Amino acid sequence: MRIGLLTEGGYPYLSGDARLWCDRLVRGLGQHEFEVYALSRTERQETEGWVPLPSQVGRVITAPLWTAEDDGVSYGRRARRRFTECYGELATALCTGRPGDPAAAPGEAPAAEADRFGSALYGLAELARDEGGLVGALRSEAAVRALERACRAPGALRAAREARVPDLLAVAAHLERALRPLSLDWYEDDALGSVDLCHATSGGPAALPGLLARHFHGVPLLVTEYGVRLRTHYLATTDAPPAVRSLLAAFHGRLAAETYERAAVITPGNAHARRWQERCGADRTRIRTVYPGMDASRFAEVGESTECAEPDTLVWVGRVEPAKDLVSLLHAFAEIRKEEPKTRLRIVGAPAGPEGTAYLGHCKALAAQLFPDEAEGLHSVGDNPVSFEEIGGPELPTLADAYAAGAVTVLSSVVEGFPISLVEAMFCGRATVSTDVGAVVEVIGGTGLVVPPRNPRALGEACLALLRDPERRERLGAAARARALELFTVEQNNTAFHGIYLEIVSHTPVRRVVLDDTGEPLPFAAPAEAHVPGRWTGPATRVVARGGPAWAAGGPGRAEGAAVRAGSATPATEGAR
Amino acid sequence: MSGLGELDRPGAPGGAEAWDERSGEWVATPEGAAASAVSEEAHVPAPSRRPNPRRTGADPVKALMHRHRELCARAVDPLEIAAGLEAHGVTDRTATRFRHRDVFSLAEEMYARAAHDEETAPRPTTPTAIRTHTSWILLTLLPGALCAATVAALRLTHGRAHAIALAVGVLAGVLALRAALARGPLAPTDGTPPGSARHASGSSVWTCWLLAYALLGDGLLDAAVAGGPDGPPGASADSSWTVATAPVLALSLACAPAAWCAHLFAVSARRRLDTSRGLEEFTASARPLLLGAFALFLSALSALLAVCGVVLGESAAYAQTVTLGALLLLARLLTAHGFHHAPAIVLAAAAAAEATALATVFAGRLPGCGFLATPVETAVDAWGPGSIPALACAAAATALLVHATRTLTRASAHAPADRPC
Repeated sequence: MRIGLLTEGGYPYLSGDARLWCDRLVRGLGQHEFEVYALSRTERQETEGWVPLPSQVGRVITAPLWTAEDDGVSYGRRARRRFTECYGELATALCTGRPGDPAAAPGEAPAAEADRFGSALYGLAELARDEGGLVGALRSEAAVRALERACRAPGALRAAREARVPDLLAVAAHLERALRPLSLDWYEDDALGSVDLCHATSGGPAALPGLLARHFHGVPLLVTEYGVRLRTHYLATTDAPPAVRSLLAAFHGRLAAETYERAAVITPGNAHARRWQERCGADRTRIRTVYPGMDASRFAEVGESTECAEPDTLVWVGRVEPAKDLVSLLHAFAEIRKEEPKTRLRIVGAPAGPEGTAYLGHCKALAAQLFPDEAEGLHSVGDNPVSFEEIGGPELPTLADAYAAGAVTVLSSVVEGFPISLVEAMFCGRATVSTDVGAVVEVIGGTGLVVPPRNPRALGEACLALLRDPERRERLGAAARARALELFTVEQNNTAFHGIYLEIVSHTPVRRVVLDDTGEPLPFAAPAEAHVPGRWTGPATRVVARGGPAWAAGGPGRAEGAAVRAGSATPATEGAR
Repeated sequence: MSGLGELDRPGAPGGAEAWDERSGEWVATPEGAAASAVSEEAHVPAPSRRPNPRRTGADPVKALMHRHRELCARAVDPLEIAAGLEAHGVTDRTATRFRHRDVFSLAEEMYARAAHDEETAPRPTTPTAIRTHTSWILLTLLPGALCAATVAALRLTHGRAHAIALAVGVLAGVLALRAALARGPLAPTDGTPPGSARHASGSSVWTCWLLAYALLGDGLLDAAVAGGPDGPPGASADSSWTVATAPVLALSLACAPAAWCAHLFAVSARRRLDTSRGLEEFTASARPLLLGAFALFLSALSALLAVCGVVLGESAAYAQTVTLGALLLLARLLTAHGFHHAPAIVLAAAAAAEATALATVFAGRLPGCGFLATPVETAVDAWGPGSIPALACAAAATALLVHATRTLTRASAHAPADRPC
């Protein structure tokens, strides 16, 4: 099966987002043929180069998003009118929308109203494909004029009505940048037209080529979002005037809604992303949550060993930054020390940025204030019960050693996305106490204790409960490891995507007419059996099936080799407590 | 694969007793705060309506809005508030304490309540930020200075040194011109796509040709009509092919006023851009700005020309030099604002017209082709040799002026350079 992997500022660039996940996906599904269509975000990213690519990546086609070349085509009268109509439709779709709710309830809006954005988008794409010169047109006065007309039209948003000339120019410039994928030459028969499935690795600009491939060639689209692109846009919004922000939010909201509407399957990385997608109009039946996969082999040794090094030690692992709320952890530790004076706390992690460095210094000062150095007797050198360490030192050479150093792993964040350190602790078979933020509850699933954020007393009491009960600790750790091996391994991720690929292609196969040398349609070029999903010839006759899809016969590349280790699985009874 | 999130979701988080501290605060009754063994579910549907001096128990959302008042004030839709709240650690479980199903509905309430206050909020004024680098001011003076130095050197030297001074002066002048046009208000905008480089190189070739004609053309045409030229061009009066240095010196000195006028136009247009409400309004207000800057440059050029004529002791060829200056300024202004096509064509047309005029005079000497030279000779006899470039440049400049009043007064021509938003 041929898969067009659409990325934006990600794989295969060295500094790309989510490149590790894409790399594992591509390597794990070796029976498929991948074509990578990458949009680069900055010039630096492009000059830094690519990660090494496996052989299943057939080709890599890149295009810059940070610059656009005006191909110098100036439109004739008819093309100009077509452009003005489409762009006007697009602008109207952005300006009218119920205030503040870009696409919350697609059922309520009239069909023509809901489809306006999509038809305008595809109209512009068709224009770019037929005539070219879209970059120049999007920068032209005609575009600004169309925007102004839409903003001044009756029924426009209040914020849009207040748009002044610089606002209009800013919006037009941003739209030009956002619509750059429309001018690419990726939508020909030999490029995205020839793939069986488009897999967009994020929403937003990366999904745009997938939408167009679906529009032009009927290629099904799979959208994977580990972080919701629309939410990123809201968080990244600058101090632009309200009119600009409102129009741009409308654009990104509508683009997200259109993407979710057209995608065959949407795979959020956690329930949080899923809620955002549902909020933006994604159909519940087409959403499959696929958790990110992590490499479990690093933690196998620690996870499988039964002895616990130090029964009185708490470990915190992560990047030091204010959102991790280490202050709260230190206060909780003070509570613990009142009850169990022998307890120690190891904080393992490097500061993130200058803010993190300042925060680390603050935490160190607080720890020194709260806990004076202590010694065994009068004649020995004292030591602080709280230690700040970094991975790679002589005591903790690897990440797994950091988790192995303690009996209980603590997560004290106030803000968290997908808690990677928690999953690592689960892989190591450690009992955990975490705050109820982000996807923590979803990840831990009853195999660890969860307390509210910013509540040091609750955190301390939960830690105490675990410190005093080694059996419960062991039980929880084993359950956590079993759960992590079941849900958060790379193999799980690859198997899930393999299954989704097969499902999509079996439901929405691309029917292509195969042409012979003279350009005539070739009858029976694709045998009917080629469209039958699954193992239609049986495993024994696989070699005979020349025309059949070889990709459908094998399982995912590595899933069989790496059976899930369930040796230490104990029924996860902790969740029911 | 689907639905694993729901299947694995625990009924209640472990360590349930921990919830009571926090929720007790929200319930904010002495009984609630004391009863620390009640489960979370018992608290949520029973928010206190009783007045409480310790906490704003009656309207917890108001306190939340106060804490996130900046977020509420600047949000353009509820999703922005939802994103901001989540970034501050508000989850669906927190939202239940505010009697909301999830963060989205909480954000919607906050947005709806904030929108009332926003009606009276003053519109934030965007400050006009125009980068003012002063390095280009010195650069624009460079071509004029070098050209003056070259002219002085040519006047003072003879023989071999004369030729060397000429070569060095021409080279330095061209390089200085390039440097002056590469930065500052006459430079192409940052957003110029690389594909336009060929237009730019084309127009620079034509610009050089037009300048060369201003230097040598009138003398050559005069000599050609008279039957010459009999020798190489010379600055002395007895030479049949005279070289006009005053116009070229004046034009090179005019680089500085050209850049200042362009800067003036750009700055004032940007200011109008910030204050005007509509595109039509901007166009109407930008047109006088353009014409004003243009007129300012023409008067500066005329003054420079007069001074150069007096200093060098040559006749100041006003008609052809002023029209050429106008043409070059307009072409450069258009190029600087991203319009490359029209200036290249018009400059080429003007250069071609001058070349054709010269060529017809020489072609008229061929047997049987005398009629070819008649129009040019008539014009030269009637108005002098300067009439040919004056006519060509005036026509070209008029065309470009009409074009510029249409394109340079558009708002899109003054769009600020790319910046992410």
